[in-house]
Amino acid sequence: MPDLVWFLIRRLFGALLVMLALSLAVYLIFYAIPADPAHLACGKPCTPDRLEQARHFMQLDQSTLQQYLNFLKGIVAGRTFGDGTAAVHCNAPCFGYSFPLARPVTTLITDRLPITASIALGAAVLWLLFGVSLGVIAALNRGRILDRLAVGVALAGVSTPSFLLGLLAILVFGFWLNMVPVNGYVPLTESPVDWAWHLVTPWIVLAILQAASYIRLTRSQMLEELNLDYITTARAKGAGEARVVLTHGLRGVLVPVITLFGLDLGGLLGGAILTEKVFSMQGLGDLLISAVGQLDVAVVVGVTLFSAFLIILANLVVDIVHGVLDPRVSHG
Amino acid sequence: MAEPVLEVHDLHVTFSTENGPVPAVDGIDFAVAPGQTLAIVGESGSGKSVSSSAVMGLLPSNADVTGEVLLDGRQLAGLPNDELRKIRGNDIAMVFQDALSALNPYYSVGWQVAEAYRLHHDVPKKVARRRAVEMLDKVGIPDAARRADSYPHEFSGGMRQRVVIAMALVNDPRVLIADEPTTALDVTVQAQIMRLLDDVQDEFGTALILISHDLGVVAEVADDVLVMYAGRAAERGTVRDLFFRAAHPYSLGLLGAMPRVDVPPKPRLTTIPGTPPGPGSITTGCPFQPRCAYTHLVGERCITERPELTPRPGEGDHEAACHLGRRPEVIL
Repeated sequence: MPDLVWFLIRRLFGALLVMLALSLAVYLIFYAIPADPAHLACGKPCTPDRLEQARHFMQLDQSTLQQYLNFLKGIVAGRTFGDGTAAVHCNAPCFGYSFPLARPVTTLITDRLPITASIALGAAVLWLLFGVSLGVIAALNRGRILDRLAVGVALAGVSTPSFLLGLLAILVFGFWLNMVPVNGYVPLTESPVDWAWHLVTPWIVLAILQAASYIRLTRSQMLEELNLDYITTARAKGAGEARVVLTHGLRGVLVPVITLFGLDLGGLLGGAILTEKVFSMQGLGDLLISAVGQLDVAVVVGVTLFSAFLIILANLVVDIVHGVLDPRVSHG
Repeated sequence: MAEPVLEVHDLHVTFSTENGPVPAVDGIDFAVAPGQTLAIVGESGSGKSVSSSAVMGLLPSNADVTGEVLLDGRQLAGLPNDELRKIRGNDIAMVFQDALSALNPYYSVGWQVAEAYRLHHDVPKKVARRRAVEMLDKVGIPDAARRADSYPHEFSGGMRQRVVIAMALVNDPRVLIADEPTTALDVTVQAQIMRLLDDVQDEFGTALILISHDLGVVAEVADDVLVMYAGRAAERGTVRDLFFRAAHPYSLGLLGAMPRVDVPPKPRLTTIPGTPPGPGSITTGCPFQPRCAYTHLVGERCITERPELTPRPGEGDHEAACHLGRRPEVIL
């Protein structure tokens, strides 16, 4: 166990360095774009005086390096823009302040995260179940009709754009059959049933799109696995076919599947942009897209960094789960 | 010979492939009695492993098995898989060549031995585990109670093979099939493993079918020997028949290819010229004819007529399938 603790400490330290480097890169990229957020804030007509005022208030008149350092300091100690009665506070951890939305980026993210997380987690459970079961079924029926069918579904899944499938689902199940709500989101805490009811269509749509790669991965891994000697051993011991496949075969299949799953889920938690748009859900993806439209650089930087953080976190979790699934993996 | 526990009569195994049916085993007979050891000897591709898999019912679905496989007089070939499952690992168990790949890397060795027991005994996990530890101890795993929780990769090659043997013996099988059990091991460990097999055989009265191409091992432990060539029996008899009265040129070739310590070493190891025929490529005549050094003594008959097993002088049932009626003189 101390091995694992050391492993975690080392990995967290590494993750911190990566995040730092990443924040610098993201910061420089978005502040290098030839657009002036102060110009937007200053309104019309914008006098040079007022522009200068806005620039000073938003702390954009300082050097880029100083701005970056302010940003880092804000994460630890919080920030205050302006002074006196007009002062705007952004409490630590402050990942920037959105002047167009008049909210700290941290609050914006934590407000939107439950929506994105609801979509992503629900869909993830579905696609993992569908993808792995269909992949196993395909492998066991290799070359037969069920296999062709599963592979066909997988191919259709990867080739369909999410907005098309999403809009079709809304049209058919929302409008024509009138089975599910067309859009909107109800918080889980308000009504779990309504929450699930509003989310079921995006879940299924996302699951269909994502399950494709899981079907293919599970199928090929399982076919490989079933050729291994220890599968023959299991049969020679007298294990039934179900036990051979589920106890002895599936374990090895899960290792690469979990890797993919962790990274996919990590990516999706950073915002399912198209899906959120199609289903009019105000999640992180929606926040990011609106921010880009309004040149709200602070939000773009904040959401981008948050997504990167999720990917790094997902990687770490995947590595730990590997050690649990495969005793040969050592965290030493 | 005592009443045989396992008898195989006129066993044929044919694989249906895209290029038509390929015969792998073409009519062989053997029998083994409790406490006795039958060695099946031959080159790779001679059908020795296919024969043992056929006995276990472990061949892939494209294999067509005909003939009799009798366990205590009960026909096994053609039994539904569910019935065979109860026999596999219980009445007939198998020890594989490469213990590292034969053991499941994801489960502890104790779990794997206990699983073999639980598949045939309706007992609580705890009881099975106790039985597994007892078995691991019996095959010479030091500190078995603790080591039972270790994973296969944490053992040396010899210890792993001991685990595989413990797993095979946990249900007191009547017949143990060992498919080249020592090929992957160091010479000193080979001797330990063979001694272990010998000991457990004495203790439990297990009938042992030893598949090997190591004539040194065969000479030491076998009672009877079946020499296979191209899916057929070339010669069979007691171990003394083979070593002192070999009647088939192929058997002689194998004996000649064995390095000896009691004669001055030759600069090169002796080999049998040529390679075995591919499955199904020889339809008439003797399959060994193209490589046979004695074929000129017989002539045309070797090419046109397939030799059947005929009695030869020796202890009991010594037979060889060769047109050369007398014992061939050693040419080399």
